[in-house]
Amino acid sequence: MAQFLLELYSEEIPPLLQINAREEIKKIFEKSIKDEGLTFKSIDVYSTPTRLTLVIDNLPEKIKILSKEIKGPKVGVEENILKSFVSSHNVSKEDIYEKDLDKGKFYFIKTKSKEVFTKDLLIKITPKSLKEVSWRKSMRWSDNNLMWGRPLRSIVSIFNKQPLIFDFEHLKSTDTTISELDLATNSKKIKTYKEYQSFLKSNKILLNHKNREAKILEKIKKICHSKKFRENFDPNLLKEVVNIVENPNVLLINFNKEYLKLPKEIIISTLQKHQRYFPLLDNKDRLSNFFLVVANKSDNKNFIKEGNKRVVEARLADAQFFWEKDKSKNLIKQIAKLKAVTFYDKLGTIYDKTQRLRKLSSLISDEFNINKEKAEIAASISKSDLCSDLVGEYPELQGIMGKHFALSQGFEEDVANSISDHYLPSGLASDVPRKPISYSISIVDKLDSLVGFFLINEKPTSSKDPFALRRSAIGLLRIIIENRLNLKIRDLINYSSTLFIDQGVNQKNENFDNDLLNFLKERMRNILKEKKIQQDIIEASISSHSGDNYLDLFRKSFLMNKYINKDIGKNVIYSYKRASNILNHEKKRNIWKT
Amino acid sequence: MPKKNKKRIKNKKSLSFQEIIMNLQKYWGNYGCVILQPYDLEVGAGTFHPATTLRSLGPKPWKAAYVQPSRRPTDGRYGKNPNRLQHYYQFQVIIKPSPKNIKKIFLKSLSSIGIDIKNNDIRFVEDDWESPTLGAAGLGWEVWCNGMEITQFTYFQQMTGIECKPVSVELTYGLERLCMFVQGKKNVFDLDWNNDGVKYKDVYLQSEKEFSAYNFEFANTKSLLDNFDIAEKECISLLEKKIVLPAYDQCLKASHIFNLLDARGVVGVAERTGYINRIRDLAKGCGSLWLESKD
Repeated sequence: MAQFLLELYSEEIPPLLQINAREEIKKIFEKSIKDEGLTFKSIDVYSTPTRLTLVIDNLPEKIKILSKEIKGPKVGVEENILKSFVSSHNVSKEDIYEKDLDKGKFYFIKTKSKEVFTKDLLIKITPKSLKEVSWRKSMRWSDNNLMWGRPLRSIVSIFNKQPLIFDFEHLKSTDTTISELDLATNSKKIKTYKEYQSFLKSNKILLNHKNREAKILEKIKKICHSKKFRENFDPNLLKEVVNIVENPNVLLINFNKEYLKLPKEIIISTLQKHQRYFPLLDNKDRLSNFFLVVANKSDNKNFIKEGNKRVVEARLADAQFFWEKDKSKNLIKQIAKLKAVTFYDKLGTIYDKTQRLRKLSSLISDEFNINKEKAEIAASISKSDLCSDLVGEYPELQGIMGKHFALSQGFEEDVANSISDHYLPSGLASDVPRKPISYSISIVDKLDSLVGFFLINEKPTSSKDPFALRRSAIGLLRIIIENRLNLKIRDLINYSSTLFIDQGVNQKNENFDNDLLNFLKERMRNILKEKKIQQDIIEASISSHSGDNYLDLFRKSFLMNKYINKDIGKNVIYSYKRASNILNHEKKRNIWKT
Repeated sequence: MPKKNKKRIKNKKSLSFQEIIMNLQKYWGNYGCVILQPYDLEVGAGTFHPATTLRSLGPKPWKAAYVQPSRRPTDGRYGKNPNRLQHYYQFQVIIKPSPKNIKKIFLKSLSSIGIDIKNNDIRFVEDDWESPTLGAAGLGWEVWCNGMEITQFTYFQQMTGIECKPVSVELTYGLERLCMFVQGKKNVFDLDWNNDGVKYKDVYLQSEKEFSAYNFEFANTKSLLDNFDIAEKECISLLEKKIVLPAYDQCLKASHIFNLLDARGVVGVAERTGYINRIRDLAKGCGSLWLESKD
C-alpha cells in the first residue's frame, strides 16, 4: 500500500480562503480518486497560511482494469470512420467483430484487461483536480496565467516514496519542500509524510490546524485560570487566528488602565476586530485592561509584547481623542449634518429619514401609550452619531456610540438606549428591543425603509434583496410578536407613505400597501417555522389571514399548534367538522328548493 | 577602550527619518530599481505617480522606487493627533512583473532600516485594495510588525479599468509609521529627522496646522468647483489631442481638488459617486491612451 503527499506552497492565504480551499481540495480529490476506481484508507487536508497539504493513505500501487466491450460504428460505414474507431482505442483491425443488435449490425471491440499504475493515474488527475479548485477570490501574479488565492510558489508531490512529477500551469512538481523562517530558507527532499512532518516540526511549523487550535486554546485556558479571567471567547476570532499563524505563541499583554474609562465597546472593537486580539473579562465579567495576542513566534526579547501594547495604546489614544471631541457635540445639533448622508438616491438623505421617523414615532406613541415627546426626541437623534468621527473610525459601533453620546449629554436612559437598540434584532439569534421607546423607534425605522422601497417599486426579488428588506421585515414582525404588541400596521403604512410623498418622493407602485402586507405575511412563514409550528397550520393560518394584525395571526397558529393533538383540540375539530357538514348539507338542500 | 564605548553608543542610536529614506533608496537601487523623485503635483498616494499608475500597464518590464508626499486633506488634525497627518510620506516600490521571491526581498528591505526580523512578529494580513478613482484593484496584504501596519503589499490586477498583464507588485511603506516603530516614538512630531537636533515637528507642525485650517475652513469652494471643471475639460481635450502625460496631470489635479472639496464638506454622498466616476473616466482615458502611445 502506498501514500500520496501533495503540498501546495504559496504566499500567505487569508483564513477564510484557506479554510475553503482545504474543504474544496479534499472534496475534489476524493471524487477524482474514486472515479478512477482507486481505494484508500484516509484522505486529509491540512493547512497553514502558506501551505495546503493533502495526504492520502493506503492507495494501491496498481489496479487491474477489467476487459470491456465497446460498441463501434454500424457495419457498412466508410472505411475512414472505422479506421479512426480502431485507432482511437489502440487496437488493430483484427480485433474487430460484428454483432447483431435491434438497430442493425454493429462493429465491436473488446478491450484487454490490463494493469494500470496508480502513479500514472495520479499524474493524470492531480493537475486536473487542482484546476477545479474554485476560489471565492483569486488572483494572477507575475506573467503567469494561473489563478490562485495568493501566489502559488511550488508544489511537492510524492507517491510511494518517489517524486511524482507533473506540470501545473507554469509550475513543475518536485520532491523538495522549503521553509522560510524570517530570512533563512531551508529545504529538504521528502520521501514520506512522516519525514515531511518532522522537517516542518524542526522548523517550528505546526501543520495540522486542529493541533494549532488545541495548542492555542490550552494556553489561553492556562492563562485565564492562573490569572482569574473568564474563559469567554469569540469562536469566529479563534477560527481566524488559528489560520493566520503556523507557530502560535499566546502572549498576555496589558494597556494603561486609564483607557478603561472609554465605552467598553470601543476597546473590544479595537482589540478584537481591528487587531484580532482576545479581550479579557475579570471574574466579575468586567472588561479588564489585559488582552491576549497570538503571535507567530516566541518573544525572546519582549519586543512583540511591547510592540503590540504600543499599538493598542496608540489606537485607544486616538479613540479617546475622538471620544472627548464627539461626546460633547450636541446630538440635536448634529441632525442637520445628516443632510450630507444619503439614505438612498430616490428616497432622500438620512436627515429626511429622521424627519419621517419623528412623525411616525409620534403616531405610534399614541397607539402604545408612551410619552410622545420622548419618542419624538429618540427618533430625531436616532442617527445623529453617523456623522461622528468615532463612527467614521468604528462603523461597526453605529448606534452604540450614539447611546454613549446621549448618556454623557444627559438624555434620559430609555431615549439613549433606543439609539443602539433600534438597530436590533441584528440576526435570527439576536434579541429584539424590549423597552417601549426602543421598540417604537425600531418599528418605525424598519417600516419606513420597507414602505420607501415598496413605494418606488424596488421590492426584493426571489434572488436579490440589496437593501436587506427581508431582514427588516422579519425584525419588525419579531418585535411585534415577542413584545405582544397589538399594532394595526396598515394605518402606519399609509401615514408613512404620505410622509415620503410630502418630501417629493416619486411613487412608482400604486399597490405598494397590499404588496407590503403580503410581503410581511409571507415573512410570517419563516417566523412560524422558526417557532416549530406544524407546516399545515402555518399554511392554513397564513392563507386565512386577511388583516394587518400579525400578533393575532401568530397567536392563532400558536394556539392551534398547542392544542391540535390534545383531546380538547380533537374535540374542537370534531365539532367544527360536524357543524360544517350540517351547514353544507343544509345549503345544498336550500339550493334544490330555490 | 573609550573609543569602543563611543562606537557602541553610536550604534545604539536608531536611524533618523532621513536615514530610513536613504537606506530604502539604496536598498531598492541596488536591487535594480530606478530611483525616481516625487511627482511634482499633489496626490493622495504614491500609486498616483505616473511611474506606478501608467507604467504598471502594458507588457514592458519596469522597476522603480521613490518617495511620494501624499496629501489626504480630510486626515488633517491641526497637528494635534499623534498619528494622523494631512500630508505624509510614502516610500513606493513598483516591480513588473512581480518577482517570485518578492516577499523575501521585501523582508530584507526591513532589515536594511534596522528592523530585527528575527525578534519581531512580521505578519501578512489580508487586505484587498481598491481605488475607485483610479479604476484600480489589487490583492495582497497589509504587513504588520507586532500588530502595527507598516507596509501595503499589493499585486495589481487592474489599473485604470484595464487588466494588468503581466502583474506588478506594489510596496507602499508608510514612512512616518515605520520611523515611529524604528525610533520607538509614540508621537509622529517627536520623530528625529536627522539625529542632529531637527524633529519632525520642526519641519511640519506649522504646515499641519495651517493646511488643516485651509482644508477644512478656508479653501475657496467656489473656485475649487470651477477648477475641477477646468481640469476635467483640459484633460478631455488633451486626450483628444493624444498627449497622455499632460492629460494625466490634469486628472491628478481634478482628483486633488475633489479631495479638498470633500474635506470642506461640500460634496454630498450622492454627488460623491458622480465626482469619483468623472475622475475615473479621466484615468481610464489616460490608461488607454498610454497603451496606445506605447504601441
